[in-house]
Amino acid sequence: MSRRYDSRTTIFSPEGRLYQVEYAMEAIGNAGSAIGILATDGVVLVGEKKVTSKLLQTSKSTEKMYKIDDHLACAVAGIMSDANILINTARVQAQRYTFAYQEPMPVEQLVQSLCDTKQGYTQFGGLRPFGVSFLFSGWDSNFGFQLYMSDPSGNYSGWKAAAIGANNQAAQSMLKQDYTEDLGREEAVNLALKVLSKTMDSTSLTSDKLELAEIFLLPSGKVKYQVCSPEGLTKLLLKSGVNQPAAEPSA
Amino acid sequence: MKLDASGLQTFAPHRADPDNLYPDLSAPPSFDLPGCPDFDGFQKKAIQMVKPAKGTTTLAFIFNEGVIVAADSRASMGGYISSQTVKKIIEINPYMIGTMAGGAADCQFWHRNLGIKCRLHELANKRRISVTGASKLLANILYSYRGMGLSVGTMIAGWDETGPALYYVDSEGGRLKGKRFSVGSGSPYAYGVLDSGYRSDLSIEEAAELARRAIYHATFRDGASGGVASVYHVGPNGWKKLSGDDVGELHYKYYPVVPAIVEHEMADAPPA
Amino acid sequence: MSIFEYNGSALVAMVGKNCFAIASDRRLGVQLQTVATDFRRIYRIHDKVYIGLSGLATDAQTLYQRLVFRHKLYQLREERDMKPETFASLVSSILYEKRFGPYFCQPVIAGLGDDDQPFICTMDCLGAKELAKDFVVSGSASESLYGACESMYKPDMEPEELFENISQALLASVDRDCLSGWGGHVFLVTPSEVQERTLKGRMD
Repeated sequence: MSRRYDSRTTIFSPEGRLYQVEYAMEAIGNAGSAIGILATDGVVLVGEKKVTSKLLQTSKSTEKMYKIDDHLACAVAGIMSDANILINTARVQAQRYTFAYQEPMPVEQLVQSLCDTKQGYTQFGGLRPFGVSFLFSGWDSNFGFQLYMSDPSGNYSGWKAAAIGANNQAAQSMLKQDYTEDLGREEAVNLALKVLSKTMDSTSLTSDKLELAEIFLLPSGKVKYQVCSPEGLTKLLLKSGVNQPAAEPSA
Repeated sequence: MKLDASGLQTFAPHRADPDNLYPDLSAPPSFDLPGCPDFDGFQKKAIQMVKPAKGTTTLAFIFNEGVIVAADSRASMGGYISSQTVKKIIEINPYMIGTMAGGAADCQFWHRNLGIKCRLHELANKRRISVTGASKLLANILYSYRGMGLSVGTMIAGWDETGPALYYVDSEGGRLKGKRFSVGSGSPYAYGVLDSGYRSDLSIEEAAELARRAIYHATFRDGASGGVASVYHVGPNGWKKLSGDDVGELHYKYYPVVPAIVEHEMADAPPA
Repeated sequence: MSIFEYNGSALVAMVGKNCFAIASDRRLGVQLQTVATDFRRIYRIHDKVYIGLSGLATDAQTLYQRLVFRHKLYQLREERDMKPETFASLVSSILYEKRFGPYFCQPVIAGLGDDDQPFICTMDCLGAKELAKDFVVSGSASESLYGACESMYKPDMEPEELFENISQALLASVDRDCLSGWGGHVFLVTPSEVQERTLKGRMD
């Protein structure tokens, strides 16, 4: 039945659906998940790396987190090759803005400009939509810390806590349960680790399957994007107690 | 071939003999003309060559106690500073001084020439020439060379039987009597200070300080002015140099450097 | 007057032992009129690479902003800073892009490379690189700067001596130029720290 409509992105099905877009979202459902939590003093991003093979050379420092500009970073879930294109566009976009206005690009403007690109691929014929979801986190002088989630359709929305990738629905409902308004950055990290450890397919959470990045303000007022080292992650996991599969997390 | 300008000089009956080694000093000087077919082209290029030394700030004003004359001391050729110690206030005689703006050679030569004429007038008439008369002499000479590339912007200041007097004379033939003048590329800046601080009842010290400040501000804003700000005063007993201050030092006297408050950069936050 | 001398500038970079210094005057003028005396012509690219842009100020600022653009993207993609040599090539290629309508700037680039080897170079407004081992100069006071540096430069100077010499060379040179001066900026870069100092100078 859907055969007649899903081969082209530009055509709605009689039920008012865009199948290619939905398939793209499906593809993301299989990817490693990522969780973002907005804290009072920063934004936390945690991602699950899918280790496909022991032989795989992991050359890059991060494979799920990307810095877009000094005040902006994103976590990715989905097809990496598609993501790379979008990340590159985002970086150029942010620099173009800075070149034109001599100030950092507002977070929402960047998210929107990227989502416009994504949207274009759901409407103009012959192309396939980007199979990526993003969690954008950043800081700007107008709205402070912000967290946005975007999907292949080009939809985006601001969140206090959000999850993308595998088991995102389970993660989302857990976040809904446990999120409180006055969460500090450290507590946010703990919450993210707890949620991830419960929604992940693998039994134990270890530092080599994890990535943690934070955006916060330095005392000087500068925005800092910081990626947690594997050693730091091991320590964190030990402290929060989520790496023991049986025990109930204390945080 | 020589250019004889004596015909333009109505009061000079003598004609200069070009080969005379002891020329008649009262006669107007004569100059060799270039022996080339394209005289206009030659002159155009020659004017370009003597163009440098344009930037200057000079000023003079009359007040109750006499006349104050002040100037900077920079000579420049395009962007290059050829000297920082030029004497731009030329002493014509003990009662009269002139300022120098425009071509250095033109100014120096014609002021000296004016000095000769003034002295001869004094000997012939047994009394000093009036500033009015002296400035007219200069203006007439400059007018006779009009369009030939002379570049002179000068003020003649002095004290004569009528009291203090000040005239502005330039190579375009202009001659103006006035209370307050400034000449040169830095003159707009000097006028700004001068006009806002001028009163006729200033004391000599106050007037000298006003002139100094005006020159200093002009040297600050104008790239072609600088060096030393010298201030002269002309009173009933003739002129006197009051001061010569290096504007490099003057700046820090007017605006002492406030020691900066040391700010310590805050250390980075420890990783969470 | 040349468009390169419209605003007036003096720029110099000198090499020391495992260190370098780059210095400029502080004037921004419109021909002979001094408009600002706290103008900056030396820009930091990252902690160990600096660029000074003499010539037309508006072009210098725009060119710097384009360089920041390109360097930032390089940093994000490569996750490291640019080497001075690489940066010089970037500047050169950006300048040549405008071969038939150039930026009216003459850059001076100075940086510390791997194993703390100092690197300095200058280029014309079209991007022709000229590497030097001792010092490079540019700006409306460049002729006097050549003379001053030629007599002041010594090989393998320690940071403090280097600072003294480059400062003296700069201040002496701008005293012979109508269009530059009004104080100076000096960046002294060693492997461990960067010092920025402001020089008092003649304000005429």
